[in-house]
Amino acid sequence: MFDLLPHIINGLTLGLLFALIALGFTLIVGVMEVINLAHGSLFALGAYFALATIGADWFAETPFGAWWLGLPLTARYVLALAVGPVLAGVAGMLLELCLRPTYGKPALYGLLLTFGAALVVEEIIRLVWGTGEQNLPVPQSINGAVLLGGMIFSKYKLFAAAFSALAILVVWLFLERTPYGAIIKAGAHDSEMVRALGYDLSRLRLLVFGFGAALAGLAGVIMVPIWGLRPHVGIDVVIPAFLIIVIGGVGSFWGAVIAALMVGLAVGITGAYASAWATMSMYILLIAVVGFRSRGLLGRKSALET
Amino acid sequence: MSDSKFTRRGLLGSATAAGGVAAFMGPWRHNRVYAQATDKPIRIGLTSDASGQYANSGASDRRGMLMAIEEANARGGVLGRRIEHLHIDTETTPATGSRVAERMITREDCGFLIGAVHSGVANAISQIAQKYGVIYLNTNSSSPTESGENCHRVKFVWDGNGTNFAKAATKNAIDAYGPDWMLLTNDYGWGHDTAATTKALLAEYGGTVMEEILIPQGTRDFTAALLKLQQAKPGVVAAAIGGDDQKAMRQQVAQLGMGASPAWINSQQDWPDVYGLPIENLFGVFGTTWYYKLDLPGVAEFVAKYQAMYPDTAMRVPGNVFYNGYMATRELLSAIERAGSTNNIAVIKALEGHRMPAESRMQHHDAYIDPNTHQVQQTIYLASANPSPSEPDDLFSIVTQSDPETVRDTGSAAKCALESYEATPTFDA
Repeated sequence: MFDLLPHIINGLTLGLLFALIALGFTLIVGVMEVINLAHGSLFALGAYFALATIGADWFAETPFGAWWLGLPLTARYVLALAVGPVLAGVAGMLLELCLRPTYGKPALYGLLLTFGAALVVEEIIRLVWGTGEQNLPVPQSINGAVLLGGMIFSKYKLFAAAFSALAILVVWLFLERTPYGAIIKAGAHDSEMVRALGYDLSRLRLLVFGFGAALAGLAGVIMVPIWGLRPHVGIDVVIPAFLIIVIGGVGSFWGAVIAALMVGLAVGITGAYASAWATMSMYILLIAVVGFRSRGLLGRKSALET
Repeated sequence: MSDSKFTRRGLLGSATAAGGVAAFMGPWRHNRVYAQATDKPIRIGLTSDASGQYANSGASDRRGMLMAIEEANARGGVLGRRIEHLHIDTETTPATGSRVAERMITREDCGFLIGAVHSGVANAISQIAQKYGVIYLNTNSSSPTESGENCHRVKFVWDGNGTNFAKAATKNAIDAYGPDWMLLTNDYGWGHDTAATTKALLAEYGGTVMEEILIPQGTRDFTAALLKLQQAKPGVVAAAIGGDDQKAMRQQVAQLGMGASPAWINSQQDWPDVYGLPIENLFGVFGTTWYYKLDLPGVAEFVAKYQAMYPDTAMRVPGNVFYNGYMATRELLSAIERAGSTNNIAVIKALEGHRMPAESRMQHHDAYIDPNTHQVQQTIYLASANPSPSEPDDLFSIVTQSDPETVRDTGSAAKCALESYEATPTFDA
């Protein structure tokens, strides 16, 4: 059991990170009914915007850059944690404006448009930041390793998991305890009724998409110090995010969180004891859950179900 | 006046019958004969990845090929013919590699194919190339299978393979860090083959495999594996992890401060995979075929030429992937000149057994193309991070060098059965 415990902790940690990735994705699917294949690109954009905020070496040669890079890394990192998600959110809102002509049409239109957007964003990243691997620096205080019960853990990963848990809580409070959250939830349940009650549905969709994109960007800033930063890093995100929302039940907040923890545990434990199956374990979990409960763990019951 | 007359139906029937007969006469041999006119360019298909796990390495590989082609054209071409090139992204995907190769040969009239980093992609391309008899240079794949069971008469392998690198590293590492090893193995052909060699060498030199942890391709979180390492406390970790997976692994090992202990042996390290990473991410010892700081004649000029041709490239110096792309292309064009022909069989014969002096390859030992496996036998270097770089790009220091015979991959040689010349379709490009 002692041998297993570190892997359970690792799995739960990983699950929290997956939950952060999936949160924006499930919010957009719930309200917009759009499977946003550009979610990973927004994740990558958030991280690249954070990288730009922290500042590149060449920046030091400019007068302002010298002053900026002279600031402590912690200050620049904290600012990057805000700038990355906000700009990713703006990019998400632009994407939503492009999506508008597809509303009311078969879902394939939205899928194709977001897929195309993913390709465009990746190319823009290549043009602006180059194709090479980049390193998003983190403050020394959350870098390095810590020993817990004789086992070694990455300080940063523990920080990232705690940050994700906090972000999940904040988003939940926002959805549950604010009027805006109530409107979003109502929109996810019945958007036409929300319009009938006099709310501006277009603005709601714009804000929800921007909010979901900002969450993707936040996940990017948090995750890339672990995963590494490269133009196609977003591709690594879309598949687990998609699996998680299907396992959890499309549009379900807590379903996504629970599914993410389950996926994290599955990947973490198989990674230790049957490592070749670590990636496959996500799919096996999906088959197991959907096989018994087609709408996912906490998905809404379909009108067709008896 | 003859009684016979041609009807439209009769003509169609005859054409169909002729087509059927032609089909039965072939396609056992594809005799694509092009007129060897001096004004007809030689077309080369560049089959390098521009996307996927090896996109960066593919770009570096391609830059090497382009520099060799530009040099040849600046000299007036080869056999008086200009060299043209065509690139299509192979996407680090074997199925795409097959499609690209088929299209380049059948629709784009490419007489030669060059490029690959992923061994599965290289294998897929080489099968298509062999079907048509088109010479294919595998520039940067390192699975021993490429010059072993997947060897082909038309394929030539330019990089050192996992066995070469493991041979260069294993004995020294056992002596220095002890016999208890754990293996981290990318769960695909190259990883498995490299690990198999390491296991065999450990058995030979008295080492022990405590455990092998298989890492699926595309893994981004290595914590489970690193926790296992920390629990088992091996003396050495032999990692055969490639491309972006390795970048993620390095990032996480550095965060855990596990780069110095245990000792890390990376059977191979492609320069584009680690270029720009902080020094703490460059832990361990790894194999390579070239480094831009080798103290050998011609190296400085080669670096200067690279920087003049690619002033805006993020990588400011040529790496091993660029080097292999360049050398392979240059030697192909040289072989065409020696053969005095673009006939594929003549060029294959000009490449087989060809010896390349150390000074021409900017290495420490002469190299040669093994006529039985088509793998270039060359100097293998071991390198580690450079704690006191003379300039920002000087990330590594060369620890040792091994001559080609010391690190020769005899296992692949035993498994390779090249097709006969007669079984290889002939044509002039």
